Amino acid sequence: MTLSVMTAGVTTVWIPRLVVLAAIAAVPLVEHNSYWLHVFSLALIGAVLAMGLQLLVGMAGVLSLGQGAFYGIGAYTAASLAIAWQAPFILTILCGGVTAAIASLLLIPIVRLKGSSLAVATLGFGIIVHLVMLNEDWLTGGSIGMMDIPLPTLFGANVGGEAALYYVCLVVAAVVFLALDRIAHSRFGRALVAISQDEEAARASGIAVNVCKSKCFIVAAFTAGVAGGLYAYHSRYLNPNDFTFLKSIDILIMVVIGGLVSLPGAALGALIVVLAPEVLRSSGELRLILFGALVIVLMGTGNRGLAGLIIDLAASARTAWQRRASAKTEAKA
Amino acid sequence: MGSYLGSDFGGPARRTAVTTDQLVHTLLGGLAIGCIYSLIALGISMIIRATEILHFAQGEIMMIGAMAGITAFWLAAMPFVLVLLFGILGGGIASVLVELMIYRPLGRRRVPLLNIIIATLGVSIVLQNVARLVWGSEPLRYPTLFASKGLVLAGFVVSPQLVWIVILGVAIMGALMAFFHFTRLGIAMQAAAQDADAARMMGISVERATTLTFAVAGMMAGAAGVLLGSLFFASFNMGFTTGIKAFVAATLGGLGSVPGAMVGGLLFGLIETFSGALISTSYKDAVGMIVLILILLLAPMGLFTRPGRQV
Repeated sequence: MTLSVMTAGVTTVWIPRLVVLAAIAAVPLVEHNSYWLHVFSLALIGAVLAMGLQLLVGMAGVLSLGQGAFYGIGAYTAASLAIAWQAPFILTILCGGVTAAIASLLLIPIVRLKGSSLAVATLGFGIIVHLVMLNEDWLTGGSIGMMDIPLPTLFGANVGGEAALYYVCLVVAAVVFLALDRIAHSRFGRALVAISQDEEAARASGIAVNVCKSKCFIVAAFTAGVAGGLYAYHSRYLNPNDFTFLKSIDILIMVVIGGLVSLPGAALGALIVVLAPEVLRSSGELRLILFGALVIVLMGTGNRGLAGLIIDLAASARTAWQRRASAKTEAKA
Repeated sequence: MGSYLGSDFGGPARRTAVTTDQLVHTLLGGLAIGCIYSLIALGISMIIRATEILHFAQGEIMMIGAMAGITAFWLAAMPFVLVLLFGILGGGIASVLVELMIYRPLGRRRVPLLNIIIATLGVSIVLQNVARLVWGSEPLRYPTLFASKGLVLAGFVVSPQLVWIVILGVAIMGALMAFFHFTRLGIAMQAAAQDADAARMMGISVERATTLTFAVAGMMAGAAGVLLGSLFFASFNMGFTTGIKAFVAATLGGLGSVPGAMVGGLLFGLIETFSGALISTSYKDAVGMIVLILILLLAPMGLFTRPGRQV
């Protein structure tokens, strides 16, 4: 591979990424309404969640219906540390991720299950975790929940304002994106793709299937835990009902809407799932019906989802443009 | 668990002394709710066997059945068997409509299976909220359809409602088994589900068999809806949790296996009721899930493995 090809690859990948990052970073400069900033921060947290699940569902082809549980574990861990010891928020968020990752070790025995059975087992795990959150008052505050989560501070400076918190979420989302992107292009990532395509063939090629799947669960759980930590500071009030089976479904819908192939797709899906109910709010009682219908219609876009659709549209627009341009030059000649 | 301390004052420990009467009642309650789970799980299993789709909207089809039954009763007071019939009809129609309008077009577009599975979640959201618009968000009380007087059975006083639910549930499942074993249509459906290509060569329309599978699955769920409604209430959100539990029941028995769904449903109903009575009401759902995970660890395909294709 020559150097020019490599640099071309780098520019085509990195220039759009930086443009998108700059556009997202510019949002608080344009939008001053704190309610909408709050919603956008939530969308960024959703993006972190969706990117974590993308590793499981999109790359390894493992259907997990329990991601909401790890989100909850991360949120409660971060909130407890913040309330009890006023721990700095970078530490609490990391602890949220680590605790979720440790909790995911419980799932390792069920990793060897196949397809639908694995999905239903993760669902069962999610329900158990939710019941623990709901009933263990000493740990989580039970059905009353956890209140008065302190504002996050960074090196003594308060970053609790809507715009500041938005940037915190953005930085975390960007770091998670970079990390998962690295994983996707590593030996481990390629092994996951091989497993999703043919588990037996992957095993025959010397990939330790169950070890890879377990690692994948742990990474996804860590990511969800970090997202949960962010959510604790974002909402400043935790209730077990934020982390039910429905949350896991929400995260799954994000991934599938965006397309099962790419991390940016997952982030796009998160944006749609978080924003759609807000945008549809004016339609009152029809809101959820429209949301459900939207989910069904978007499922018709195939496994590349909206991200794939956009890429296709861009490609066809480009060819149409080139055709017109060449037609013009021919006409001139 | 805190009540051990207090039991010293009440003579013999109250918690440990479960009378036979209570035991019979709990057993009957477990069987009744288990029959309802079985009926829903049957539909889930049939659909998985025929199409590989995890049908998350099955609970909502059950809810539509319950609503159809209660609406028919409002229009004209009728005996319970007729209400049940309307519920069966409502569930069947809803299920076929969903298949024809949503899953079949998606299947034609050759989208991946996971997309269709997520679409079933979309269907579940739509059906719930349409039901909320039509029937309101308040729980609807089912009319008393049975004699409320206690029934004496083999020396025990039992609730006639529970007995009827068990009898009707078993009767419906028996009818389904007869349909599968003795009618051409039932045998054709089984064939199409086991090996679509071979069935096609034998002149069976697999598309029709799939629609029929959804029809029968919906009818089972509709029946479950009326039975569950008569036990508690009918409400727009009665389906989701029940549907999830039926899913677990079907997995317990072995996804795709018809006898597995029946046994799984009954087993899950009994586990849930007994752990609610003996261990803790707040963790009764968790006990069921732990049993599920343990059984899957010992027998990854569930209690009954199905012949033919692998999941």
